[in-house]
Amino acid sequence: MYKTEVRGPLILGDKNYRQISDDVIAPINQPIPGWWKFAFFVAFMMTSFGVMALYQTVAVGLGTWGVNNSVGWGWEIINFVWWIGIGHAGTAFSIFLLILRQKWRTSINRAAEAMTVVAVICAAIFPAIHMGRVWLAFFIFPYPNTRGPLWVNFNSPLFWDFIAISAYLLISASFWYFGMVPDFATIRDKATSKIKKAVYGFFAFGWTGSSREWLRYEALSYVLGGIAAVLVVSVHSIVSTDFAVSVIPGWHTTVFPPYFVVGAIFSGFAMVMTLMIIIRKMYKFQDYVTDSHLNAIAKILIFISLIMGTAYGTEIFIAWYSGSEYEMFTFFHNRITGDYAFEFWAMVTCNAFIPQLFWFKKVRQNLTLAFIISIFINIGMWYERFNILITSLSKDFLPSSWTTYTPTWVEIGIYIGTLGIFTMGVLLFFKYIPMIAISEVKSVLKVTSLNDNYINHQSHE
Amino acid sequence: MSNTRIIGVFEEESNLMAAVKQVKQEGIEIEEVYTPYPMHDVIEAMGKKTRFTFAAFLYGFMAVIGVLSFLYYTAVIDWPINYGGKPTNAFPSFIIVTIILTILTITIASLFTFSARAAIFPGKKFDLPDNRSTDDKFVIVFDKHSVSGAVDKLKAILKDKGALEVYENEIQLQN
Repeated sequence: MYKTEVRGPLILGDKNYRQISDDVIAPINQPIPGWWKFAFFVAFMMTSFGVMALYQTVAVGLGTWGVNNSVGWGWEIINFVWWIGIGHAGTAFSIFLLILRQKWRTSINRAAEAMTVVAVICAAIFPAIHMGRVWLAFFIFPYPNTRGPLWVNFNSPLFWDFIAISAYLLISASFWYFGMVPDFATIRDKATSKIKKAVYGFFAFGWTGSSREWLRYEALSYVLGGIAAVLVVSVHSIVSTDFAVSVIPGWHTTVFPPYFVVGAIFSGFAMVMTLMIIIRKMYKFQDYVTDSHLNAIAKILIFISLIMGTAYGTEIFIAWYSGSEYEMFTFFHNRITGDYAFEFWAMVTCNAFIPQLFWFKKVRQNLTLAFIISIFINIGMWYERFNILITSLSKDFLPSSWTTYTPTWVEIGIYIGTLGIFTMGVLLFFKYIPMIAISEVKSVLKVTSLNDNYINHQSHE
Repeated sequence: MSNTRIIGVFEEESNLMAAVKQVKQEGIEIEEVYTPYPMHDVIEAMGKKTRFTFAAFLYGFMAVIGVLSFLYYTAVIDWPINYGGKPTNAFPSFIIVTIILTILTITIASLFTFSARAAIFPGKKFDLPDNRSTDDKFVIVFDKHSVSGAVDKLKAILKDKGALEVYENEIQLQN
């Protein structure tokens, strides 16, 4: 059962149900604000730049990238892992918190899931183009073919990755969509314009909110939540096996799967915080995304940041304790000191130290600071992937093949392009989809506020 | 059969629940209840059960067998390849693909089951007794034909429990 005295009311401003629908639907009915148009234009330009870089990659070839024989994985894989990490927010938020029956998720899960879907789309671009001949990317599907039939290698982590990410994209998108169906019905029934009624009516799939629909809807969300919780853990574990099953020093560690999963949830939660602060500010959702919500996210970030710090420490300790000189070299001469020391210390500072500021209540309550810290975490998580990939690859067992790595404008361009796609996707979400799960917020309204109805609603979990 | 329905519109979920309890005590059959969000009490009172979780388990069970046999067929029977001296039936490394594809199968099959059982699909024709029920009202619907003897009593109960409006309407409800 929800303990009101512990967390306080989840929705402020003494709302009734109608106000909730009106508040959440308002951005869809209002004309598009100026900042939205400006941001969309910038994002569109960024995407165009990315498309140009992609064109260069396809037309000329992978030679346009800065990768070489030693550093075979460059920015593309860094960015791929980074985006997948951000894409863990939605599932971590809605599914873990759904299973743990944390009602404060209701105001945030929709946005987190939207972010997940867009981030995973951005992530999926990188492995596809990294195959070299992207027009043959469909070879990775295990289908009966005329090449033998030569099947894909089911023992390869790279194939596991493909399966995991496609499944993750499909599952998080359908989980997100079915969560929206009742809200589309609300928009349909409140819409005054014929077009809006028809469009949202189509997407509402004929939802009426009858008890037989709700019964199955609830069953569906628990089944999907229960099985997708496995995905949150498995997707990034599989990404980590891309590295961990190799024999490269710095990658060949058993701590990788949990370390990657925690890192992914860390960057996901940081991105949720960034996004929720923007939504709250731009759309005046202070009553729904309250200070207490952001406070809860900040507290989770401290906790995960401590785990990250422990993981970094463990890696270094094991490098020393293993007695392997290659491990020792990688960690002590190539990460802590050496060519890429800046990236290593940027990672440690942004991920393990800066989030510790959230211990202070003043920092948690100051949204500008919280916003800056959440950005720092995202930068730090990018450096973490850089650190893992580049330092290990640039100096391996053979000093004759040591080299450095610098990205070219094409690689930077593709990254900027995905940032543009992400921003565009999120902006479209702001405008056309209810940003807060209307029906879910309604279901926690009375249960979580200390009004007369409270007594009558104790039966709700 | 007549399509006349008696419709009660409530403002508060507690009032709705009180009415539902009272009506059930009187032995009047409720046709359907429409709420803006899922209410466990209502679902319970309607006496509806779902075997959804069992169906999901069944899909998962079939998927595990299906995926494992597919992997075995491709890697061992159809085109065995020696990957670094590993056995062709490399069972431990099949587990990951099996888990992920099982999850994917359960999800897709559950979505289709949901779509079929709850009758939610694109382009569905539907009749909403009162379109405020997706916004802020709780709507309870009775078939006038089946409560024929107790229409006045029913209306009195609904009013007594705090219904905002009680009215009759001709509608065609699905199922």
